[in-house]
Parts: sequence; structure tokens; C-alpha cells
Amino acid sequence: MDQVKVGVFLSDCGKQLSEILDFNALTDYVKKVSGVVLAGRSSEFWRGKGLQFIVDAIKDGKINRVVVAESLPKLSEVNIVQAVENAGLNPYLVEVIDLKDHCAWPHRKTPSEATEKAKAMLLAAIERAKLLEPLEKLEFSVLKSALVIGGGIAGMQTAVDLADLGFEVHLVEKAPFLGGLATRAGRFFPTDDCAICIESPASDVKTITHTSRKCIYRSGFSEIPNMDILTNSKVAAVEGVPGNYKVTIEKKPRYVNELKCVRCDLCTAICPVEVPDEYNAKLKTRKAIYMNIPNVHPPVYVIDESVCKFHDCAKCVEVCPTDAIELDQKSEQITLNVGSIIVATGFREFDSSIIKEYHYDDYPDVMTNLELARMIDGFGPTGGVIIRPSDRKPAKKIVFVQCVGSRDRRYNPYCSSICCMISLKHATLIKSAYPDTDISICYIDIRTTGREHEDYYERAREMGIKFIKGRPTEISRDTETGRLIVDVEDALLRKILELDADLVVLAPAMVPAEDTKGLAEILGLELDEDGFFKEYNAKLRPTETKLRGIYLCGGATFPKDAPTTSLHAHSAAIKAVKFLTTGKIVKDQRTAVINEEYCGDCEFCPVTCPYGAISLEPTTEEHFVARISDLLCEGCGVCVGTCPLNAIELRHSRPNQMLAQMKALMSINGTSKPLVLAICCSECGHTAVDSSGMAMMQYPANVRVMKVPCTGILQVHQFLEAFKAGAQGVMVVGCKSDGCHYEVGSQKAENKVELTRILMKEYGIEPERLEMFNMVFIEGDKFAAAAQTMTERLEKLGPLPTMGDS
Amino acid sequence: MKHGKDEKTTNLAFSDVISSRLGGETINLCYQCGTCASSCPVAKITPRFNPREVIKLTLSGEKDEVISGDAIWLCCSCYNCQERCPQKVEIANVIYALRNIAVKEGYIPNIFSEFASAILNDARVVKVSKFVETKRPTLGLPPLQPTGVNALRKILSATGFDKLQQKKEEAT
Repeated sequence: MDQVKVGVFLSDCGKQLSEILDFNALTDYVKKVSGVVLAGRSSEFWRGKGLQFIVDAIKDGKINRVVVAESLPKLSEVNIVQAVENAGLNPYLVEVIDLKDHCAWPHRKTPSEATEKAKAMLLAAIERAKLLEPLEKLEFSVLKSALVIGGGIAGMQTAVDLADLGFEVHLVEKAPFLGGLATRAGRFFPTDDCAICIESPASDVKTITHTSRKCIYRSGFSEIPNMDILTNSKVAAVEGVPGNYKVTIEKKPRYVNELKCVRCDLCTAICPVEVPDEYNAKLKTRKAIYMNIPNVHPPVYVIDESVCKFHDCAKCVEVCPTDAIELDQKSEQITLNVGSIIVATGFREFDSSIIKEYHYDDYPDVMTNLELARMIDGFGPTGGVIIRPSDRKPAKKIVFVQCVGSRDRRYNPYCSSICCMISLKHATLIKSAYPDTDISICYIDIRTTGREHEDYYERAREMGIKFIKGRPTEISRDTETGRLIVDVEDALLRKILELDADLVVLAPAMVPAEDTKGLAEILGLELDEDGFFKEYNAKLRPTETKLRGIYLCGGATFPKDAPTTSLHAHSAAIKAVKFLTTGKIVKDQRTAVINEEYCGDCEFCPVTCPYGAISLEPTTEEHFVARISDLLCEGCGVCVGTCPLNAIELRHSRPNQMLAQMKALMSINGTSKPLVLAICCSECGHTAVDSSGMAMMQYPANVRVMKVPCTGILQVHQFLEAFKAGAQGVMVVGCKSDGCHYEVGSQKAENKVELTRILMKEYGIEPERLEMFNMVFIEGDKFAAAAQTMTERLEKLGPLPTMGDS
Repeated sequence: MKHGKDEKTTNLAFSDVISSRLGGETINLCYQCGTCASSCPVAKITPRFNPREVIKLTLSGEKDEVISGDAIWLCCSCYNCQERCPQKVEIANVIYALRNIAVKEGYIPNIFSEFASAILNDARVVKVSKFVETKRPTLGLPPLQPTGVNALRKILSATGFDKLQQKKEEAT
């Protein structure tokens, strides 16, 4: 390699720094450091003439390493690195530090001490720069196709967005028909109109309009050329990496050829098998060959294989005018190659029969909101009449019971968020159609938080719907009259009531769709404690997952109403497009690398890696070695911190680079106080230091900051090395342990710190010289206070005995 | 929460007192849904006891009203409320915790202090009358054995149980 020639560029930020720091002394100092061939000073180096000066020095071949001391390093670094690359130098040979927020401002009251600290900071940056290695840019191909799992309103909207934008889309639905909960719900708040409409696909010439929505059957969405709809199908296996997933779909037989069926209804008319229709709350029967409702998609019958007599009967085959019925169809496996996967598996009602005291299984007149929706639906089993299922007489007294299995620590502790609105919607719809119906709603708290939602509550009260603040303890049935009795306390009246009812409607919790756990395992995704898919970041990345290329939308992450589901679906689509659109993933080599000579048959790193980037590959019959996927590795270094044999290093944060930095920071004190090394993660930890400086919070200059990618990279021996290098105390500053940017890093560091403290005790070093802190950007005050506390603590403890080389 | 010196704020900490006692740990989970009240066989027949209200008063720091009143003594310990509570509040156990505090502060209903003196005097919860004793042989029952009341008294004295009556007199 060429000889290392470092250029150091000191920005005094228009003298605001030179009034505190002695820039002449700093310039003189860096000039004398070995390897430094050029030192420049200007008011700014991240743009304009200053940046041109750096570029010229590179182009002239004067320097091949760049150290810049600049304010706003996170912003300026982008510009500097880009310019360096354009000038022909590898952009990973640049080190940018912040003399303002990390030195001048927090130590403005002790300028000479600040200048000495600045020297140490510059030396550390130079020593690190000298050891930096050029890194390459990596490209990985991405297939421009997507799999959408779940054909409810979330999945359909995402699929239409992606297909409209030209991507090949496979929409997989496990049921025989699309629509999910929406088809059963019939109507949605806040508009009370049909649940199953959709925006017109832009690619269909005949239907494309800017009109707000179209019924699914007339939207033409299924005819988008690059849309492939697979019903009666589920995901059986997923292999591969982001951008290139190989998906195995198991498609159950429909026994009716989709291309031939003309839905003439002759088959259902002749079918002799009649079973209770679960889709319609068992309020009617259906045949073994059936369609749920007339406007479903695909408009093709399906045979219920659990009840059909197949060749023993085959009457449908005889009458079918188009020979569409194929009783010998078999399950088939379909392989799809996709770049991205969107999970839209939704939610379902909690099984109310688990709450025995509500007798959902025992009394036919106790039903759920989704079942009630079937009665409200004009297409439904009762043609829109609300009946008492036990004797099919009109239901004149209806009691709704909220929070069935939700806000219930025995089953689902969370609020399902949409059930109050569903009950209000149903109650008001019934009351409008049948004003003489007596309706009561038993509630714990009514939650109507969306736009126009409170109107429902208000309208319900105006209509005379009664609200009883209390959760019923039991539903019983009068043995003589067969009428239901709801035992509830009206807490506002402090009265125990026995409500008489024809019909009791339960508002069950909304829980994750069936098989959510199985799908999560297939995809390698995490679930939250309630069993829903866990998003990458609840605040900022609600439709993304930890895995590039896999997205979530709709009720798969939590129960949602229709407006929120739509937002979520479109958001997931745009995230998938962002990923798919260029056909490639561009990454750099800031990744971990294995030293195969040391790597030895343990399985720590693949288990620890938060991104599943490490696999084990056999080398001989008995031995294996860890392999790191440059595509999946995020460069955090948690594996480095975990490896018991030091067989893993980060290319951008090698142990020798860290050690050189550490030694340099501790080589100059310049204050009368004991030196403290604050090892900060590059995310929240380092920004907390920034913010304390930005706000000019004061802490002593003996505290020196060293940045690492994630505190998870740290190993026990590194803490000891810090003491050996001259630190009297070590602070480890990371993200909050539940908010670590690399998931587990902070927690790993915390464990490492605890372990080291035990060791320190054995060595006769006071364990309180080492402490872990967790903070975020806005907690700069916490950093300043911690730095102050640590300094005072060390002053009390007195100096650490000099550590030998042993 | 900062605890001031005025009476109201001191009282607010009453729920903390309960939640730190055995059986009272779950009280703060209560969100007043009333499932306990509609589950309660006592509340069904008398407005003098409502478990939801006892919890609410406790959470609101109304210590005096709770421990000097008779509501907590009307709970029949059927545990229906506790079975049904969706927040897993151990309502019946909370009421035991409240009773213990009430007793400690001398609020003991007569019936319970009678039990207490029966135990102290006879080592029996109910005093056995001469009449009952003479009746036993006619029913084929053996005569009652001595109860070892002296040993029991030692234990009761060590626990402070024998001072209950005295406390009650102090409180009233």
C-alpha cells in the first residue's frame, strides 16, 4: 500500500471556535504528528473554498487520508465524503470529528483545558485515519416482483398499488375468496357504505377514472396484466435473501376450473349436501359447492372438500354446462421468485367461547359483532332483518357487551381499538332501520378517537340507545322463557341490573389471524407480545420489518379500522417500491469479516446476530466456520462483541483502530482531573453528547468521547485496555436497551459491563469506575450530568494504580 | 408522585400502602368496570357493600371511610369477583388487606371481637355453653378435650392478638 499521507483540516467555524480553542497551537501540534503531511485551517471545510482545498490536495496526490474537524459533522460528513470520492479517493478513508459540540462549547469556561482535549481528539482521529482501509461498494440484484400475503382490503390495496406501478404482483389468499373480514363486515365506519370497494386500478383503460372508489367486482383490479391472484393458497416455505426470495405456495384444489365456470348456479341448485353456513353465522345453510356472496372474487364456485361426496354423487358434474367441475383436482405447489414480500394477514375475532360465563357456545342468541354484521347485510342470511336465532323471531331488545376478551389480562390485555366503533355502527344501523328496537351498550370506556367517530356516539345517544357503564359478569338464560339475562352493574347509578334481552351481541377482542405464528417462523419475523407482527420501529417505520424487502400492513400489526388500514397499505406499497424500483440494493462493505483461522465451531454469533446475517458452513466433516452475508450484515458489531475467540472484526472498526483511538484520547490530559473515556455508540449515545454540546451544557474536559458503531461491539478486554491506556474511569453510552438501533447491542453491552465489573473487583479495581448509561439525543443534560458525576466519583476514589503489561 | 404533608396527599398514598401489602399488590390495575359488583352475591341483596366502590374509595385515598365503615366486613369471601375480574385484581384479597389495617387501627366489628375473645379465653372460635356440653353424651359424642389454651395464649400474646380488644377500646 502507498505510504499513508494524512491531511488535517481544522475549521474554526468563523472564529466562534478560535475564541475558545488556541487554533495556532492545534495547527502546530497536528503538523508534528507522524504521518501528517498537510494541515489547513479555514472557517469551514464542508463546502465552498475549504472543501475545494481538500479536493485539490487529493487530486494533487498530496494526501490519501482526510481528517476534518468540523461543526455539524453528521451533515458535513455527507458532503465531504462525496467530494472525496469524486476527487478519486476511497470515501472510507475520511474521519470527521466535532471540535465544537464535543469540545469548545461544553468546555468554554476552561479554554486551555479544552485546547489540550482538542489535541487528544485530533490525535485520535489521525491515528484512526492512518489505520483506515478502503472499502468497496457492493451491489445485489433485486427482482422487480412482489408477493402479497393476504387478500383482505390491506393486501388488495397494496397489490393494486404495486401492480399499477408495473411490478409483477402475486396476491395470495388462504380462503377461496378475496375480501377478508371486509366481505363479512358488509359496511364500514365512518361512511357506513360498502366495505368492499377499492380505488380503480390505473392500468385498466375502461375503469380508470378519478372517481373515489369502485366495487371490487367492477374495479377490474383482477385483470391488471401483471397481477396474479392465488386464492385457496398459502405460503408453505420461503428461502433466499432480500431481493431474491423463492416462495413455495401450496394451492388447495378448488375443484372448479376458474377459466370455465360461468356461475350459472346449476351446481349449487342440484347439490344435495347442505351444511350450516359458517360464513353467515350459521343462520342459513349452504351447499357443498358454493359461493359466499354474489359479488365475491373470484366469481367461481368452490367445493367444500370436508363435506362433498365427490364421485359418489357428482351430480354437479352432470349439470355443469361448461364442464368446469373437476373433482380430481389435486393440491399443487407453486414456486414464485419475488424481490419483496408484503404481509397483510389481518386479524380475526377472539374466540368468545373461552369466556364461559358469557355462554357464547351454549346460547344461540349470544353472537358476535361479525355475526351480527351478516344479519345487517341485505345480502345476508336474514335479508337484513335482525332476528333471535333461537326462534328466528325479530330481536326487539338487544344488549351489546364491549371488551370481550380485550382489556382483559387473562386473555388480551390490549384495547382492540375498533370494537366500540363497530358496536356503535351496528347499534345505529339497527336503530335507523328498526326504531322500536331497544338497544343497550354495556361498556367500560367508550373509545371513539378517529375523525367523525364521536358523531356515532352522539347520534347513538340521540337515537335513544342506552349506555351502561359496566362490564357484565354473566349472561344467563331464563329456563322458562328462554330469554337472556345480562348481569351488570351500572357504575354511574351504582345499581346492579339484570337486563332482559332477545339478543346479546359480544364485541370480542381482535386477535392475530390464524397461523400468524407459523408464517412469522417461515419469514423469520418477530411477533410482539400480543402475537401481532412487530414493525421495525413503531414510531417511524410502521410498515417495515427488520428484514429488508419484507413489509407489513393492515391488521397484521394490530387491529385497524378501514381508513388506517388504507393508509398502512399504501405506505407498505411505497416502501416496497422504494426497495424494488432500482432493481438493486447498493450497500457498502461496512460489514463484519470472519478470520477463519480463529473461528472455531461455536454457535454464538449466528444466534446473536440481530439480522440473521451469519450462517455456519461446514469445512470438514466435524468442523464448521461462520459465514457473514454482506447483504444482511448491518455492520453493528454485536457478533464481534460476542465472539469468544476474537475471530470477527468490523472492516470499519477494527480492534487496532479502536485501540489506537483509545490510546490517543488518553495520551494527553491537560486538566487536573482524572481522565474518563466515554465510549459512545454512533446512534443515540453519540447524539446525546452532540446535544449536550449544542446546548452548551458544561462538563469537564477530562471526559473524552470515542465513537463505536454500537456498544454491542465492546468486549470485556477493551474496558481493561482503556484503564491500561490511562483512563481512570470508563463510561459506556448507548441507546436505551429497548430502543437500540441494532436491537440487542445495548443489552449485550450492559451484560458485558456487569461482567467486567465483577472481574474488576477481583483485580482490586473499584467496579464503579465503569458504568453503562442509556440515553437518547434529547437527553444531553443526562450526558453532561453523568460526565460530571463520574469525574467527581473518580476524584473521590483517587488515582488508579498504574497497570503493568501483565 | 411527591407526597406532601397535608392530609389529602397523605391519604392518596393509601393505595400505595395497600399495594405494598400481601394480597393488595394488584389494586392499581383496577379500571372500575364493575364486573366485581355484578358478580357479588352480597351487593345483589344490599347496597351496603359494593366491591368496586371499596376499591375506588381505596384508590382515591378515602382511608377513613373505608376502614371505619362496615362494607369491608360484609364481603363473604366467595371470590366470585376475583374469578371474573378482567384485570386480575385480587379483590377479595385486597379486602383482607383492608381488614387487617382496620383491625390494626382498632376498627373491629363486635362479632369479630367476640370471636377474638372466645379464642383468647377458650381457644375456640365459638364459646361452648354448659348446655351443649351436657347434651353431647346424649348424642353419643365424646366429652370435649381441653384445648391447650395456655399454649395458644402465649402465641397470641407474641403476635399482639391479645391486644385487639384494647385497641378497639382506644379507637372508640
